Amino acid sequence: MDFSLTEEQLMFREQVIKFARKEIVPRVQEHDLRSEFDFESWRKLGEFGLLGLHFPEELGGGGSDVITSVVAAEALGEAGVDGGLTLSLGAHTYLCADTIFVHGTDEQRKRYIPKLARGEWIGCMGLTEPSAGSDVASLRTRAVQQGDSWVLNGTKMFITNGPIADVAVIYARTGQSAGGQEGISAFIVEKGTPGFAVGRKLVKMGVRTSPTSELIFEDCVVPAENLLGQEGAGFFMAMRTVEWDRSALLAPFVGGLGYIIERCCRYAQERHQFGRPIASFQAIRHKIADVKICQEAARSLIYRIAWCKDQGRPLNHLEAAVAKLFVGDWSLKPMNDAMVLFGGYGYCHEYDMERIFRDSRIAPIGGGTSDIQKVLISRLM
Amino acid sequence: MYYDWTAEELALKQSVAALLTQDAVAELGLLEDAELRQLKRITSRYLKALSAVGYLEIAVGPVERGRLMQLVAGQEELAKASGSLFLAAETTARIFGGLLAGFGERSAVGDIIQAVMRGDVIAGVAMTESDENATEPRPTTAGVRDGTDWVVSGKKDYVTNAPIADWIAVVGAAEGRRAVFLVEPPQTGVTVGPRMQTLGFNGVAVSRLELDSVRVPQDRVIGPFVDEAPLDFLAAMQDLVLSLAAVGLQFRTTTEAKKHALTHHRDGKDVFRHQEVRFKLAEMLTWAQTSQLLTYRAAWLYATGDPEARTVLHCAKVFCAEGAEQVTAMAMQILAGRGYLSGNPVEQAYRDAKLTGIAGTTSERARMAIAADLLKRHQV
Repeated sequence: MDFSLTEEQLMFREQVIKFARKEIVPRVQEHDLRSEFDFESWRKLGEFGLLGLHFPEELGGGGSDVITSVVAAEALGEAGVDGGLTLSLGAHTYLCADTIFVHGTDEQRKRYIPKLARGEWIGCMGLTEPSAGSDVASLRTRAVQQGDSWVLNGTKMFITNGPIADVAVIYARTGQSAGGQEGISAFIVEKGTPGFAVGRKLVKMGVRTSPTSELIFEDCVVPAENLLGQEGAGFFMAMRTVEWDRSALLAPFVGGLGYIIERCCRYAQERHQFGRPIASFQAIRHKIADVKICQEAARSLIYRIAWCKDQGRPLNHLEAAVAKLFVGDWSLKPMNDAMVLFGGYGYCHEYDMERIFRDSRIAPIGGGTSDIQKVLISRLM
Repeated sequence: MYYDWTAEELALKQSVAALLTQDAVAELGLLEDAELRQLKRITSRYLKALSAVGYLEIAVGPVERGRLMQLVAGQEELAKASGSLFLAAETTARIFGGLLAGFGERSAVGDIIQAVMRGDVIAGVAMTESDENATEPRPTTAGVRDGTDWVVSGKKDYVTNAPIADWIAVVGAAEGRRAVFLVEPPQTGVTVGPRMQTLGFNGVAVSRLELDSVRVPQDRVIGPFVDEAPLDFLAAMQDLVLSLAAVGLQFRTTTEAKKHALTHHRDGKDVFRHQEVRFKLAEMLTWAQTSQLLTYRAAWLYATGDPEARTVLHCAKVFCAEGAEQVTAMAMQILAGRGYLSGNPVEQAYRDAKLTGIAGTTSERARMAIAADLLKRHQV
């Protein structure tokens, strides 16, 4: 066994942290307060190459392996980039662009990947529906073939990047069955397609810089060539993104714990109560230690998923669910403790702990709730 | 990065696993109720068997820590099968043997190290003293030079393996510094106290140790040390061993709880089919897998001499120990009355788990050490 990162990966990590601290982090709080997506940061992420790290260079990507992508995602969290922006990045790069890259035709790749990798276009993925959340296979959005086109009808819910996306990967039922995993297909739908509308923007507790909305399809006509992958293979395609979801999308949470450690350490030394820095109190030190313990425990879980993907091994769904459950549930207490360490200041927006606490609440909910992970683990164990 | 066992690591893992047949595990279960003579006989026999597959000679001492991952592969198998034998073997090989191999003169203690690696001896290390542990500055146990010998007196508490030990390394003071005195019960002046009654790990014999003007020849003295390296090494090894013991407890009880849930019925269906039970099992496995990976990484950092190794090892120690308490408690809840019966593996594990948080670096001290390192790194 060997847990080392290469010299290049370590150097890249430092570069990403430096870049993010200078170009992104200074604007995080104001955008969170206004619940606004930060287009300037997005553009800079694209220029730096972080929106398409793992795509081939000829398609505008960086040609990196999965571990390097996880290193970069962890570094963004460590630098203090908010959970909203990293969530938007995840939905864009891994749930949308990567699905097109893996399952698309050459034409589809050439049309979409370079623009998505550079950040010129923003991508999203539509799977969840108002009545099909954890039970994805019960989705109702339908696509019916009519001549050279597909006609989509239905509503998608909780779509990250929905209000700002230029292109969406949408899952719809194409088979005869009314439920189940069979007969689900994926389509590429561009902004402006007749019958495709963005529904109400959702106001959320956290990850506020990542806009979320409904997507509405009313007799939305999509050209036949926008079918992505094989007809009926949509469920399998959606499940393929789990590898990214349990590695690169979880990595900012793990990196974020490092950011919290730094913030807590500094604050605990500066803040004096009862005539001494609060860092001298055992209870405060234990809180700081607990964040570190959680970070170290989580780190190996997500890198294991990344390493297996790099090795071309099929995803171990048990290990993936363990990683998601751990990051989602186990990180809540140290996150909460970190906010409490800041006292009243931690509760106010002036200090970013309040925002970080809110952002962290998505971890046991998004991308498969903790309860669903427990169902999976108990089924697979 | 390589998240799999190498061929060498896997070979030891498989060799140790092959030793631990169903019959062997059943016999090792007898350790928990064994009187001292039987305890020594079974422990000695398995030490020889472990030696035969190379387990006892790997990563003995800090210089050999490069092979730690190979050892961990084997240690985990042993810890899953018998926590008591695991602690007895590791106290002998890695803690006692490691201390001698790392800091003793090879010409003076080489014979003892060889005996350890052959599985010919059982050994212990006496560090803790009443109301004071060995990390405090001045142990009351002390040696005074007398010609070519040292005369050592003092009292030690909680000495693992002491009632069945052939050798005991006693940490004490010597000329204002730390030293280790090797004593050989029943050497004159060495009194091994009665076996202590403990909550868990009943297959490990623990007792007090009293030294009354014990003459120890110079070639059986390690030190006096110029720095704290030997004690740091001992603490790190203890924490790694206890982390792995905790991982073993977690996997063992998760397996037992799952087995119970699949073979027992409540309300007309398998216990396993009750969602609350399934969710508990999912949490237990999450604790176990996460503890396992964290310990692997901590061991690897230690093996490679990473500057953050000690902090991550403290993280592993706290996480695994607290995980063991959580997991064994959940397992007992699943087994309910059956898990509460003495002699049930889950009942035993529930009792065993407590030690992993209080032996070695306690969870409280480990947290303080982690925070101290972080505060230093992020100094204002």
